[in-house]
Amino acid sequence: MAEREIHDVVIVGAGPAALSAAIYTTREDIDTVIYEKGVIGGLAAVTDWVDNYPGFAQGVAGMELAESLQKQAERFGTDIRLGEVLSIHDEGELKRLETTDGEVYARTILITTGSDYKKLGIPGESEYYARGVHYCATCDGAFYRDKRVVVVGGGNSAVQEAMFLTKFVSHIDLLVRSDKFRASEILQEELKKHTDKITVHFNTTTDEIIGENGKVTKVVGTDKKTNKKVEFPTDGVFVFIGLKPNTQFLKDSDVLLDEIGMVITNAYLETNVKGVFAAGDVRSGATMQIASATGEGATAALMIRKYLEPHHM
Amino acid sequence: MPKNITIFTTNTCAYCVMVKKWLNAKGFSYEEVNLDQDPSRQSEALELSGALTVPVTVVTKADDSRDVIVGYNLSQLAPAVS
Ligand SMILES: Cc1cc2nc3c(=O)[nH]c(=O)nc-3n(C[C@H](O)[C@H](O)[C@H](O)COP(=O)(O)OP(=O)(O)OC[C@H]3O[C@@H](n4cnc5c(N)ncnc54)[C@H](O)[C@@H]3O)c2cc1C
Repeated sequence: MAEREIHDVVIVGAGPAALSAAIYTTREDIDTVIYEKGVIGGLAAVTDWVDNYPGFAQGVAGMELAESLQKQAERFGTDIRLGEVLSIHDEGELKRLETTDGEVYARTILITTGSDYKKLGIPGESEYYARGVHYCATCDGAFYRDKRVVVVGGGNSAVQEAMFLTKFVSHIDLLVRSDKFRASEILQEELKKHTDKITVHFNTTTDEIIGENGKVTKVVGTDKKTNKKVEFPTDGVFVFIGLKPNTQFLKDSDVLLDEIGMVITNAYLETNVKGVFAAGDVRSGATMQIASATGEGATAALMIRKYLEPHHM
Repeated sequence: MPKNITIFTTNTCAYCVMVKKWLNAKGFSYEEVNLDQDPSRQSEALELSGALTVPVTVVTKADDSRDVIVGYNLSQLAPAVS
């Protein structure tokens, strides 16, 4: 029988929570492997600019912060693999993980899979995906130089990404379903500096994306106050309507999730399955900030060390 | 071995960085076309991919056939360069 590959800890996802945890574990010689299916650095890496992460007086580009976290984790010997964890299986002392690169075993698992953008689920959205409908301003904004776009959403991401897009576009219609923003006061204040380019439409639902000859031409919505249809001529649509936790890979495991699919942990960041921990945005009750994700990552690493001591060290 | 690989990128695109990291880790060299520095080549990327997004990776094989991969997609990238 082939040798089984066993690690002290396998971390699922390589966002700030994961990289921070790995800095702590590998620095203490706890053998650590991370699997990342997308971008090393997670959502922090696709964020244009981070103003509130402690230690950077002038702020820091998300990509630079991600790069720095990766280098720090690798300096101590973290093994970051580009692949996806498909499922996890509790086999007592050892946990088995199915990945796109085959099977690995771990004494402990840390779930730091964060969350992904939600889709609107309206006609035209999937048809024009990446051809006029987008979920990543830092990736696709450059294609809209001097063009009109619609941004959908009223939370932090929508406001932050709309302001980022003003670097390229001529005009933005920002469609907000409710009568006010969910975005923080600070971001709302910032937004006021962009009234030359951004027009905010409150109480407006986004119902359909319409195009001609393979190109998006308009977004049709409803003004909830008058119940009338409204049309926004546009070259593209950027959707930022919130996030859903990346926990689909846990559906056949025993790990308990809350009603919206986030991982439930105790105060020690351990799930109901012994030896399986969770940290960062994916954790039920998370505050969805990079600083809290890195803090939880560090805490989880210390809890993992404690768990491993009597077991194997 | 592919004959050559071209990646269309922008400055802020983290998925572009991932394609480059993956190719570097596998020992492949590539030409990078940064559309922020060279916006005139944007239409070329669009024509090749049919998409308004980066990364677009164009893998030209030994027989001059081409694979165009849109986004950071290892399940398409890995067979294209093999
Ligand atoms: C537009 C935007 C702007 C933001 N701005 C700020 C800001 O200014 N300041 C701030 O503090 N926070 C900001 N945030 C929030 C911040 O990005 C997150 O709180 C932080 O990234 C969470 O870190 P994490 O490690 O928990 O998860 P994530 O960063 O989401 O990382 C999770 C990683 O896990 C990977 N993954 C998921 N499932 C699997 C799997 N099955 N196998 C392998 N890998 C997997 C994902 O690909 C991802 O890379 C912003 C978020 C967005 C969307």
